[in-house]
Amino acid sequence: MIERVRSLIPRRKGAAPIVPEKSVAGRTLLLLITIMSFLSAVTLGGVVLVQKSAIAWSADTGREVTIQIRPVEGEVMESNIRTAVSLAQSTPGVASARALSLEESEDLLEPWLGTGLDLTAIEVPRLVVVQLADPVEADIEGLQRNLGAINGASLDTHAAWRQQLNTMAGTVVLSGVLVLLLIGAATVLAIVFATRGAMATNREIVDVLHYIGASNRFIAGEFQGRFLSIGLQGGLLGSVAALLFFSLIGTAAGNMLSSEAGAQLGVLFGRFSLGTGGIIGIAAVIPVIAALTAITSRVTVRRFLSETS
Amino acid sequence: MIEFSNVGLRYGNGPEILRDLTFSVEPGSFHFLTGPSGSGKTSLLRLLLLSLKPSRGNVTMFGEDVGNLSQDRLLQMRRHIGIVFQEFRLLDHLTTFENVALPLRVLGQPESEYRPNVTELLEWVGLGERMNALPSLLSGGEKQRAAIARAVIARPKVLLADEPTGNVDPELSSRLVHLFAELNRTLGMTIILATHELPLLDKFNYPRMLLQKGELTIHD
Repeated sequence: MIERVRSLIPRRKGAAPIVPEKSVAGRTLLLLITIMSFLSAVTLGGVVLVQKSAIAWSADTGREVTIQIRPVEGEVMESNIRTAVSLAQSTPGVASARALSLEESEDLLEPWLGTGLDLTAIEVPRLVVVQLADPVEADIEGLQRNLGAINGASLDTHAAWRQQLNTMAGTVVLSGVLVLLLIGAATVLAIVFATRGAMATNREIVDVLHYIGASNRFIAGEFQGRFLSIGLQGGLLGSVAALLFFSLIGTAAGNMLSSEAGAQLGVLFGRFSLGTGGIIGIAAVIPVIAALTAITSRVTVRRFLSETS
Repeated sequence: MIEFSNVGLRYGNGPEILRDLTFSVEPGSFHFLTGPSGSGKTSLLRLLLLSLKPSRGNVTMFGEDVGNLSQDRLLQMRRHIGIVFQEFRLLDHLTTFENVALPLRVLGQPESEYRPNVTELLEWVGLGERMNALPSLLSGGEKQRAAIARAVIARPKVLLADEPTGNVDPELSSRLVHLFAELNRTLGMTIILATHELPLLDKFNYPRMLLQKGELTIHD
């Protein structure tokens, strides 16, 4: 399979490579680099998805605060609601303020209490949803201070939720970066072993090149060329496989869940859409893996040559 | 061109393989290097190829004391020395043409520049028809002629040959030495050819460097 794909990649024309293609444990190394590239790209894509969802969710909740008015004996609920709406609307940085109707408030309880219950006997806390025009400029402290005048009113800025969300997203991103570093280290080690193996296999070629006056730099360049080619191919195959993986997962998630459940999942965890940034990140895996392969093999070859010459 | 003065060589802490070698080789000369197996011919050739440093004494090549040279300078000097091995040491995955062109590729010449020279040389050594053949398809004599062509394509000042006739029949051996003689005569290349085939030496009137038990005597 891999050989078939490799045959589609254009080859360099001209003189045959001094280091034979088959002698560099090419197939095994190509498979390994493909797997490493795939894992890197999937990790990177996962991190991008989580970060995108976290940013979107944080932005949504950050643009909204909620005023809760609890029923208090001796207080007129409807009057308190109007005062709260009025206070909110007069606060700088607030775009709009709307009180949820009694029906809407009862609907919010439905998932916990079930349907068909008569809630008129219970005094349900009421909510005022406040949309902020600019979360930074909005005078939340002023609003909180003013709401002190309403008995039973409190302001929920969702700060605790956002902080938890940011912590979770930060942890996922950090874990992703650590996994990427570990994959990078494993790739480097694999290339070091493969290069040393290739040098031992091609010892005769190295000796002949030395005898005809080739410098260590020239010899390292010949080996680096082979490894760069393998790194490019592996990076390309792994990244394409990762893009296909995300595309398949996105399609499968869309098909398997009902539209309503899918929409809810989408709100919570985001869509499986990488966006331009994610695709560019995965595409960047190709040159990074190729460069890592080339640099590692060059350093290993130079060290091997200086040890043996 | 080459001067050895009281040169000794030992590997690690072992006994001295070569002892008190003192001789000089003039530009454009042809010498046979002979002696029984294990007498140190290959070690002496490796000293001449600058792939070994003497344990003692001085080696001067092309007017420079090789004991004090940097790696880069040693590399530059090695490019003035061609080498032919008994076992040919052609690269199996390259064609005859590519093997012969290798020293010029190493020097950074583009193929368009070296192709006419390589082609001409291959025709001169009788391999014009075998340019695109891989070494596995060549006879012993053809392989050795390809190895000689590779050794001389970059026009080295000195050509060393380590038992180049060891893997071919006596008739072909004689023809190969004629080829070396031709290179010496036409290109003025200094040649040191190591062999232990005494009948072959008798056919050519060249000075002999005789190595015995690590000591060298020269017979003109």
